[in-house]
Amino acid sequence: MYDGEFAAVVGPSGCGKTTLLNILAGLLPYRHGTVQVDGVPVKGPGSDRGVVFQEHAILPWRTVARNIGHGLELQGVPRQERRRRVREFVELVGLAGFEERYPHELSGGMKQRVALARTLCANPVIMLMDEPFAAVDAQTRITLQEELNRIAIATRKTILLVTHNVDEAAFLGDRCFVFTRRPGRLKATVTIHIPRDRRIWKEVVADPAFTARRDEILELVRAEVRVE
Amino acid sequence: MSSLSVARPDLLRSARARRFWRHGGLELALVTLLALALWTAISASIARPDRYLPSPVSVLDSSRDLLWKGILPNYLGQTLWRLVTGSLIGIALGIPFGILVGLNRTVSEMCYPILNFFQSISGIALLPIVMIWWGTTEKTVFVVVLYTCFFPIAFSVLTGVRSTPRIYVNALRTLGASRLRIVRDVLLPGAMPSIATGARLSIGYAWRAVIAGEMLAGRRGIGWMIFSAQQVDRTAQVVLGMALIGVLWILLDRYVLRPIESDTIQRWGLVQR
Repeated sequence: MYDGEFAAVVGPSGCGKTTLLNILAGLLPYRHGTVQVDGVPVKGPGSDRGVVFQEHAILPWRTVARNIGHGLELQGVPRQERRRRVREFVELVGLAGFEERYPHELSGGMKQRVALARTLCANPVIMLMDEPFAAVDAQTRITLQEELNRIAIATRKTILLVTHNVDEAAFLGDRCFVFTRRPGRLKATVTIHIPRDRRIWKEVVADPAFTARRDEILELVRAEVRVE
Repeated sequence: MSSLSVARPDLLRSARARRFWRHGGLELALVTLLALALWTAISASIARPDRYLPSPVSVLDSSRDLLWKGILPNYLGQTLWRLVTGSLIGIALGIPFGILVGLNRTVSEMCYPILNFFQSISGIALLPIVMIWWGTTEKTVFVVVLYTCFFPIAFSVLTGVRSTPRIYVNALRTLGASRLRIVRDVLLPGAMPSIATGARLSIGYAWRAVIAGEMLAGRRGIGWMIFSAQQVDRTAQVVLGMALIGVLWILLDRYVLRPIESDTIQRWGLVQR
């Protein structure tokens, strides 16, 4: 991946997208090939690769602020500095005023914002996202996708997103890696030539440059979905 | 200083009193009265009640004598001290043991039957062997109480650790947490509700173990009082001892253990949807 790139991995359910992401994260061992971050091979999980999980993986007994600052706490960042950076990311994900709330007091979308802020706040080299918006309703998902795009621009973070949602992949990705059905292999790479700051749902749906690419991905994925 | 006398009815309506009545205080008082009435009735209807079942009044009468000599407070203190030391140390050992075993799936599966085995051997079943080792000493009672606490709490902690969602552990690992930090930040807080419930459970078992231990191996203490009163046919003292065991447990459970448990669950058991 290029530095600062937003890549989307898209493929039919069960093709091993999540497995791939867990291997990249270092949570699963791999048999063949290599995973390298800045030329250094990956051995187990590390704070250079931040992960935003499918489920809400934030700790229910920690407040929003303490969840977001958790990575910094683990890195031994002093309290003052931590507080400053937590505030910065709380504002970035739009959770100002909710710092002292507990996760059970938040909506599903807000919990995912906390998870996103926690990962970003730890300042990883690359952020891995595993279907982060799968569990939220359609309206919230669209908002969160636009927010994620805005955050990706603001932080210039290298991001790899795994999803089965073709719209999501096409909307967010600079490049979309389409996977075949199980056993998943790379089938095609589709590049989306729309500047990031022009990616707003209302506009892209009317933009043939977007819809053509999206439909191309959709066809590639649909060809992989087995007919029962 | 009769702060709850009828001369100050306003105090009956104080926040504390209201809380007491609202949280089942009325029911508790009613049930107690009912039980005492039933007890009196049975006692009055049988032949030789002093030998078989003395009435509440004569039980209280016998306790006055003991109280006056200062024996009862002494015994009570002794019994409670044995409970507190034995169970606190048992819990303090059981929690780290449960966490350590719970860290690894293979280890926890291996330990599960062992823990289950010992959990089924109650304190009283352990007493004979411990008495062979250390005789009728303070050490024997202490070991039996500690043993009784250890296994239920270790079991609860193990279950708590194993049932903490893996996703929390994985999330912390990707944030760069060490094993120790994962224990501190995820497994221990995740197991807190189980620890609280397990602690209450094991103190309940320990309470029985103290009494049993005192009966067979103790000197002084409520259990010892019951046992020795039986041998000289002082039924009133036997019943007094039993009543004390029950009443003390209700107080301990209601005013110490349950509040701690529910506070812990409220603080740490914030389950996500």
